[in-house]
Amino acid sequence: MKHKHIKHILILVSALLFVCGCNDFLDKVPYDSIGTSSTLSEKDAVSLVNAAYQPLQWPKLYNMRIWSTDVVAGESVVGAGGGTDGIETVQLSNFTADPSNAAATDIWRSTPGILRSNLALSELKKTNIDEALKLRLMAECHFLRAHYHFILVRFFGDIPLRTEPIFAGDELNIARTPKEKVYQTIIEDCQAAIEGLPYKAQYSSTEVGRACKEAAECMLAKVYLTLGNNYDKVVDLCQNIENQGYDLSKMAYADNWYNPETGVLNQNGPESLFEIQYTGDPAACTNWLSDNDNQSQWLNCFMAPRNSNMVGGGGYGWQHVSKEFVSQYEPGDLRKDVTIFYEGCPDFGDIEYDPNWSTTGHNVRKWCVPISLCDKVSNCPANIVVYRFADVLLMKAEALNELRKTEEAQIPLNKVRSRAGLPACELTDYSEMKEKIIHERRMELAFEGHRWFDLIRIDGGDYAVSFLKSIGKNNVTKERLLYPVPQVEIDSNPLFVQNPGY
Amino acid sequence: MKRKLLKSLIAALSVMLSALPLKAQSETLLGTVKDANGVPIIGAYVIDSANSTNGAITNLDGEFSLKINLNGTITVSCLGYMDAKYDLSGRSSIDIVLLEDTTMLEETVVIGYGSVKKSDLTGAVASVNSKVLSDKATSNVGQILQGRMSGVYIVDSGNPQSDVSIKIRGLGTVNNSNPLIVIDGVPMVNMSLNNLNSNDIESVDILKDASATAIYGARGANGVVIVTTKRGTNADGTLNFATNLGVDTATSMPELLNASEYASLNNDMMLNSSNAPNPDWTNPASLGEGTNWLKAMIHPAFFQNYNLSYYGGNDKNQYYVSGSYTDHDGIVNSVAYKKLTFQINLDNQVKEWIKFSTNLTCSYDNKTNGDYSMSAVLKSVPALSIYREDGTYNGPTANSLWFGDQQNQVGKSTVNKNQVQGYNLLLSEGIELFLCKGLKFKSVESVGATLVESESFRPAYNWTPDPLLESERWAQYSRNMSFLADNYFTYDGTFGSHSITAMAGSSLQWGNNFYFNGQKKGFLSDTASQFNNGINIESLNGTRSDWAIASFMARVNYTYLDRYMFTATFRADGSSKFGPNSRWGYFPSFAGAWRLSEEPWFPKNKTITYLKIRVGYGVTGNQEIGDYTFASVYNTGQYSFNGNVVQSLVANKLSNPNIRWEEVEQYNVGFDLSLFNSRLRVSLDGYIKNTNGMLVKMVVPISTGYSDIDVPYINEGKIKNTGLELSLGSDNIISKEFYWGSSFVISFNKNEIKSLSTADAINYNDSGFGQYFCTNMVGEPIGAFIGWKTNGLFQTNNDVESYATQVGAAAGDIKFKDVKPDGVIDEKDRTILGYPQPIFTASFGNDLHYKNFDIELYFQGVYGNKIFNVTAVDMTSMNTVCNQYATVKNRWTGEGSSNSMPRAVYGDPNNNTRPSDRYIEDGSYLRLKSLTFGYTLPSHMSNAIKMSSARVYFNSGNLFTLTNYSGFDPEVGNSSIDWGTYPVTRTFSFGLNIKF
Repeated sequence: MKHKHIKHILILVSALLFVCGCNDFLDKVPYDSIGTSSTLSEKDAVSLVNAAYQPLQWPKLYNMRIWSTDVVAGESVVGAGGGTDGIETVQLSNFTADPSNAAATDIWRSTPGILRSNLALSELKKTNIDEALKLRLMAECHFLRAHYHFILVRFFGDIPLRTEPIFAGDELNIARTPKEKVYQTIIEDCQAAIEGLPYKAQYSSTEVGRACKEAAECMLAKVYLTLGNNYDKVVDLCQNIENQGYDLSKMAYADNWYNPETGVLNQNGPESLFEIQYTGDPAACTNWLSDNDNQSQWLNCFMAPRNSNMVGGGGYGWQHVSKEFVSQYEPGDLRKDVTIFYEGCPDFGDIEYDPNWSTTGHNVRKWCVPISLCDKVSNCPANIVVYRFADVLLMKAEALNELRKTEEAQIPLNKVRSRAGLPACELTDYSEMKEKIIHERRMELAFEGHRWFDLIRIDGGDYAVSFLKSIGKNNVTKERLLYPVPQVEIDSNPLFVQNPGY
Repeated sequence: MKRKLLKSLIAALSVMLSALPLKAQSETLLGTVKDANGVPIIGAYVIDSANSTNGAITNLDGEFSLKINLNGTITVSCLGYMDAKYDLSGRSSIDIVLLEDTTMLEETVVIGYGSVKKSDLTGAVASVNSKVLSDKATSNVGQILQGRMSGVYIVDSGNPQSDVSIKIRGLGTVNNSNPLIVIDGVPMVNMSLNNLNSNDIESVDILKDASATAIYGARGANGVVIVTTKRGTNADGTLNFATNLGVDTATSMPELLNASEYASLNNDMMLNSSNAPNPDWTNPASLGEGTNWLKAMIHPAFFQNYNLSYYGGNDKNQYYVSGSYTDHDGIVNSVAYKKLTFQINLDNQVKEWIKFSTNLTCSYDNKTNGDYSMSAVLKSVPALSIYREDGTYNGPTANSLWFGDQQNQVGKSTVNKNQVQGYNLLLSEGIELFLCKGLKFKSVESVGATLVESESFRPAYNWTPDPLLESERWAQYSRNMSFLADNYFTYDGTFGSHSITAMAGSSLQWGNNFYFNGQKKGFLSDTASQFNNGINIESLNGTRSDWAIASFMARVNYTYLDRYMFTATFRADGSSKFGPNSRWGYFPSFAGAWRLSEEPWFPKNKTITYLKIRVGYGVTGNQEIGDYTFASVYNTGQYSFNGNVVQSLVANKLSNPNIRWEEVEQYNVGFDLSLFNSRLRVSLDGYIKNTNGMLVKMVVPISTGYSDIDVPYINEGKIKNTGLELSLGSDNIISKEFYWGSSFVISFNKNEIKSLSTADAINYNDSGFGQYFCTNMVGEPIGAFIGWKTNGLFQTNNDVESYATQVGAAAGDIKFKDVKPDGVIDEKDRTILGYPQPIFTASFGNDLHYKNFDIELYFQGVYGNKIFNVTAVDMTSMNTVCNQYATVKNRWTGEGSSNSMPRAVYGDPNNNTRPSDRYIEDGSYLRLKSLTFGYTLPSHMSNAIKMSSARVYFNSGNLFTLTNYSGFDPEVGNSSIDWGTYPVTRTFSFGLNIKF
């Protein structure tokens, strides 16, 4: 019996031992992430800023939704697969979209770019890293925050304006800020970016692609043009950029993309001011289609004619270029062969274009990269050009014309026309010149995601309505030039109200 | 179990006794004693009522002989059966049928860290024994349990590779509402019921109310499924071989357009949207039938199950060993499932004071299939052939507006190979120390490992759309380990009229998960295509995570005078899943029961033989919200500059440092009643189950910049479930050669959301066109369907003009109701369209025996749920280029031609496909879930061939289904959404079960 008592005690003791140190036993932390309370090293600080660039490359912005606006602008119709893919763009382009529209929701989901810029800014203020680096990184954040806000304000009008990061426990709901106030913040951010950013040439070759001073100046010029004021500042900003030695006569049009003549895929080339960067590394994402953070550019496969096998993935042919757009080419425009496929156009590699690949007989060629450079839908390394020098020249021409310096406006305009192999424009009438510049922007920047933003800014949207009606889009109204605020935001944020007309 | 032991003991005795000369009497009575199934009862006592010292015991064949006055009476008794009295009335031979004592006074119920006699039970527990689980056409335990127990709602997916879904007493949460599964005392983390062999299971006990589940604390809120595997017996060895072979077919196939109907539809779609129709299709009739893709993908499939077990032992050591093999092909092309299981259970009383129990469960399963999607099969264009003329797979090559962009599903399911191999191991060692009278210490140590190897290989192919230029291999290895250390004392004591069972102890469970996966491409050939043979690494990913739970638990069962019973339990759980601010949860429960029928004043007659009232209350928790959700972290990502990859640190998800378990408070009242000499058994339970602090996804507006999808949980939701459960069991006819018994189970549950994180509804589930059709809204049940109400079609453009403003509408489009009457049809007009939860689920089982034949007829059904038919959204959309259901032949083609099926128009400017009552269908069904027809060889015949028993049977599963549902099958899953899932099958099989 005695040994039994000893056993009791042993068991009790061992049972107690089991439960000692329970709290250590229960402390588990994730292995694959870094606690937000950790002190940030210089590398961490740079990584926080890098994160603020990422949403730009998402399909929610430049990889799909921005270039899809060319369809909404009437430059093309959705080819897609005839499946449900692209139906949201079809509805937007018919001006019948509703607040559940997937494209509108995607663009709205670019707000992480703003949060990341704000978060990096507030963390950078707290760090003790190299002061020069810190100032540059902060200027990059200002650039990016301005860029995200500028995209959203043009799509949705009044948007929620945030300039501080939010954390757990903060009020999450936010009302719409009047767009004038948003633009004020964008302008201030652009100015801070111009102040703190180096020129493109000052970046080392491994850092080219970060926001540079010229890109910030270009964006600010565009903001002023959008607001339709400060034309003299636009001219100054464009002049500042030109002063950095940009010379269009030394830059081939096709060198902004894959140039079939040289066989080179040009990235961050001499004309480029700001590009969305891709590496085409398929290992960066687990799911090419659903993962935000894939490093593959989509335009290549989405533009190439469907099932033409011109490009990796076969080609999706998402944009069938409208006949109206094609009819706008002046004879001898050298840009046509670079921009579109048409019957009898130069072969792509050894593949002859078949107009039956498209319902309109035309496809977009500009972004196509041969299979030798990327053989799959998910590994295209081509960057997406956002700002380039030709755009700057055309903005300068437009601002000069608006300042009624129409003859002076001919100079930058003709630099662009001359490269395109077109005769110089000698118009002196303001209105004719205005129309000419709009046309030139349309042809020069075709299928680069500019046309929609140009349409809706000119004459406060009246130009867009009359143009779109002229090409048969009769549902369009001025209210429909703004996208609907996504229903998910309305449902989750009681302070939000929908745009009129939806 | 106990009964079997005794039976064998008595059998042995009887053999000896039968040799003894019995006291001489005037005449000899000869007879047999059998049970309701006609199986001889060995060792039954047959006693002369006039002289209790005069008796006989039945032999191996249930026979006895007794010298007795033939005008007297005899009493026949046997443990586990109800006593029977017979007037001999001069007969010299008699066949006696004994009924099982279904008050089940001796039946025990496993309740977690112990077991209790069913008669002493205070909580709501449903049980199923091995009899139900054996001789079925499937070894999938979940499928067999479907409908058998009240308050337990099981939905079968039809795919042999999948587990069923089990919900107990309604959805207590919008989150993980799966019950905790406990196998032989070890709470499962990774292993599922499907990893077991149903033939190895002795009993499944389902703890339903909180007074029973509170002993599992933070994991008890969704109910607990306790599985007990078979153990050895104190008897000579038995060898058991069981097999069945069968075939699966689809229960029903939806009707699709043929090629000419498709072409005609496509022409309409193109013309109505100002697109060019296919010039080759000016005479659609010329296309004929075309390809029936569905028939090409679905075919009858065969399956086979083999099971071999042996068990036995002596009074100190017992063994149970079994192995099984299942090979089950799917009815969908390329789907196959194979399973091997192995079970060893040992009990060793090594010393008088110490006993070891060893359980080893091993299973291996192999799931193979090609790439396919049932919805893509339905959508495949009938105007395209499966093969090109050269025998390779065909695909749309011409204009996609005419031929669509569906990939060839026959091709993809055939050439692409996916394989998931699972290896499960569960080893547990129980040590019981008998300390002194009534006091036991038990320690259980267990280790569980689940290894899963998944791989897929896609050879290069050149058929459109989206050809694959280079072959690629993807593979993932994941390993989940869990460890358990339980230590607890149990005390049993009786003091006069008081008896107490008490348990107290601690439990630690912890584990870790690890996985990595990778993809490579560029293989020289399809045969040498391992990772070693590939050139380019496409991806390489992986991570690990840890978790732990520490618990203390205690329970007291107190019984007074065998009729007043009281149970109190308490558990404290600490979990690594919760933030440091609220790491420990405390879960009490109380229950009482009163056996009225034991009261002296209770009338003693055969009308009411047993009556017990039970009342219980308890608090439980649900901790299944994933690991580390409390932590505020940066994740890593990447960007690049000029081709140079750079790291990024991303704040993607808002955190909630205060997150804790969700709490369920449950009240239960029930009674158990036996009527008419226990020929009718009734159990009725009512409950109220309040979930408080339910973990709801925090509403994070997109405008915050944090993910609005990957959001933190907050403890703000409230759900109320109220329900009523009735189960009836009856012995309708008992005669010498014929027996008919029935069971009827019906469960009602009402689910209501009482509060959410915001006043607004949370909408989710996209029907494919960017619109959500499920909502969680206060005052409604979980996952209610939301959308527009249809109001017929616009017959003319004047109709459109005169109706409320509906953007994009034209004649032939659907009119939607202006529910919020503001003259505009918009988001505000969405309204609740139906509920996914059934009003009741029910089953009706019948057991019939005639001589050696037996029939089981088992009906099962649900009533009152609505199904949202997402498949029909695509399949009647007429707005995109894909095949459609045959119902679109009735589409609107001009004024008056239809008032329900709209016009065909590519792009759908009116958004006819928005979520609406068009897609809401009645999900009620009644099906003959199982029909078994069996024959047991008479024992003299089986004995003659050295078998102790032999049975053959034919079984059919889902032989017929009564339903109005238009899709494959109304069993579409727990949320009642038909995503175009795998069809439920009809099964025919033949089985054999022999014992030596």
